[in-house]
Amino acid sequence: MTLGQALGLVRERKEINRRRKIFLICGFQPLHLATLLQGHFALRFPDEGADIQTGLYGDLEGTLAIAADSEAEAAALVIEWSDLDPRLGLRSTGGWALSVQADILQSCRDRFARFLEGLELLAAKMPVALVLATLPMPLLGHTAGWQSSVNELELQKQAATFLADAAPIRGVSVAKSEPSRIDALMELKAGFPYTIGHASAVASLVVKLLFPPSPMKGLITDLDDTFWSGIVGEVGVRELSWSLAEHTQVHGLYQQMLRHLSEMGVLLAIASKNEPAVVEEALQRDDLLVPAKSFFPVCANWGSKSHSVAEILRAWNIGPDSVVFVDDSAMELDEVRTAFPAMKCLLFSPKQPAKTLELLEQLRDLFGKPTIQREDGLRQASIRASAAVREAGESASDEFVRGLQGRLAFDCRKDPSNKRLLELINKTNQFNLNGVRLSEGEWLKHLEDENGLVVGVSYEDKFGPLGTIGVLAGRRVNDQIEVTSWVLSCRAFSRKIEHHMLDRLFKKRCVTAVRLAYGRTDRNQPLQKYLASYGLDVDRDIEMLLSREQFQRHVEDLPHEVRLQDDV
Amino acid sequence: MSDINSRISQCFLNVFPDVAAADLPRASQASVPQWDSVAHVTLLSAISEEFQIELDDESFESLTSYLLVVEFVESRIGKT
Repeated sequence: MTLGQALGLVRERKEINRRRKIFLICGFQPLHLATLLQGHFALRFPDEGADIQTGLYGDLEGTLAIAADSEAEAAALVIEWSDLDPRLGLRSTGGWALSVQADILQSCRDRFARFLEGLELLAAKMPVALVLATLPMPLLGHTAGWQSSVNELELQKQAATFLADAAPIRGVSVAKSEPSRIDALMELKAGFPYTIGHASAVASLVVKLLFPPSPMKGLITDLDDTFWSGIVGEVGVRELSWSLAEHTQVHGLYQQMLRHLSEMGVLLAIASKNEPAVVEEALQRDDLLVPAKSFFPVCANWGSKSHSVAEILRAWNIGPDSVVFVDDSAMELDEVRTAFPAMKCLLFSPKQPAKTLELLEQLRDLFGKPTIQREDGLRQASIRASAAVREAGESASDEFVRGLQGRLAFDCRKDPSNKRLLELINKTNQFNLNGVRLSEGEWLKHLEDENGLVVGVSYEDKFGPLGTIGVLAGRRVNDQIEVTSWVLSCRAFSRKIEHHMLDRLFKKRCVTAVRLAYGRTDRNQPLQKYLASYGLDVDRDIEMLLSREQFQRHVEDLPHEVRLQDDV
Repeated sequence: MSDINSRISQCFLNVFPDVAAADLPRASQASVPQWDSVAHVTLLSAISEEFQIELDDESFESLTSYLLVVEFVESRIGKT
């Protein structure tokens, strides 16, 4: 993004529905970095505005403390070498001669320690994107430019240690280094050290770290000449290959990537034009780099790929916009893309290793997530169980649901380290009260609200555990509860868990009614259907009132055993 | 209006959205209250980026009005 584009974007925006406060903490003049941050934010959130707060020039430590006490909902901490010791910048003439290098290194060590303390305080209040030393290493050391000096390496070691200490702090995301670009004239004239291109790259990184896009949930892969080299129906099971020795290593790399995704909790399925029996036999080969059991469902048939994809989406119960389809045939990709325009369709190019590497990098970006939760490891098994539940009892009769022997655990602790609850709110589409997504900063503020309440629900039954699958958040106002967020994972549908969640609220001290901040979305039909069953009007975006009597008239005995972890 | 003038005007309008396009030819650091040191750096960076011109120390000090900027850009890239 150019500066002109960023200025234009910020200037031309007319409709702003929501403003977010972001603190940009840096020791240099924020200038274009602040503008570009607004520009990248505007690209990401077209109907929202970012108010960028900044601190005093040269006082990064002080700004860090001010930010921690501010109302901002997110912060970007950008540290350059000169923040550690001004002698490492172009605007100081304190020098970096041999005689002062030991002093510089000590000063850096002290500053890193203080920055870490400040960062811990800040990150307890809001999410922080940390960007460290993107500019070239100062002219420190006595060696020629092609040889690293001991002091340069010591400085790098301090920086690496600082990042390694900072990365595990809850709420901190560390940016990967961008190629460094310094603008010496701007630094000397205006105290802003970055070229515009570099400032734009840093701003883009900060927006991605503070407001990460929702990761994709599932990947559907083709088999022949994609998952493995060869057409199984022609060459036979034994002749399929994916190894370096057989010059088909790109397929091995792809299999490795799928295994990695599977362990991250990504759903995997197969859509292949083949005889089912042949595919079944091929998937039994014990040298596959990803276990065959990682794939569910496996759709091998001679129908269209889009038909198989539709079947897989039904089994997963998720939308096409959360799914990636990979195939080596441009025609098949086109056919699926036409049927599911929202689906990400990616070409596998077995003859071009560089393209394969690009594909793997793209998959990493599409599925990458800041943390892996326990639920990620349960997802595949629970999707199989959900399919079994749907198959066995589409109408979810009371008798069937009771037969599941379900156990629910309600956790009402306001624990900021439990990232699963916010993740669920931000990625659930179907059973979602209003589709409103929350930033980490907004969530932390809600947890600090003394009248705020949070209910996390986990579930297990005879088919196995589903982990935490529901969240309800709101505020207690007199004898009512105002619910602002309410989501239930699609893996947990048809089990009457939503009844149990409302029941929990009505069991609380003298709650007479629940107010629901309902909003109709393109995707929340399951929620609409549920609310309509109480006679509520789901055609308009209005706050709804559900009284205790209405609820009790509708819901009789609840089917599952309930355990409370910490009630409010 | 020449292509150069219209591109320069766009840069000015991006940085000074409250100034009317018709008033730009008379705009200067003295006449535009929002033209402070931060706006000055932003404006010159936008001009430098738009025309791919490398700025030097002297131009930072001297480019204090719309007309001076037009003159400077024309001298660097030639009239269209």
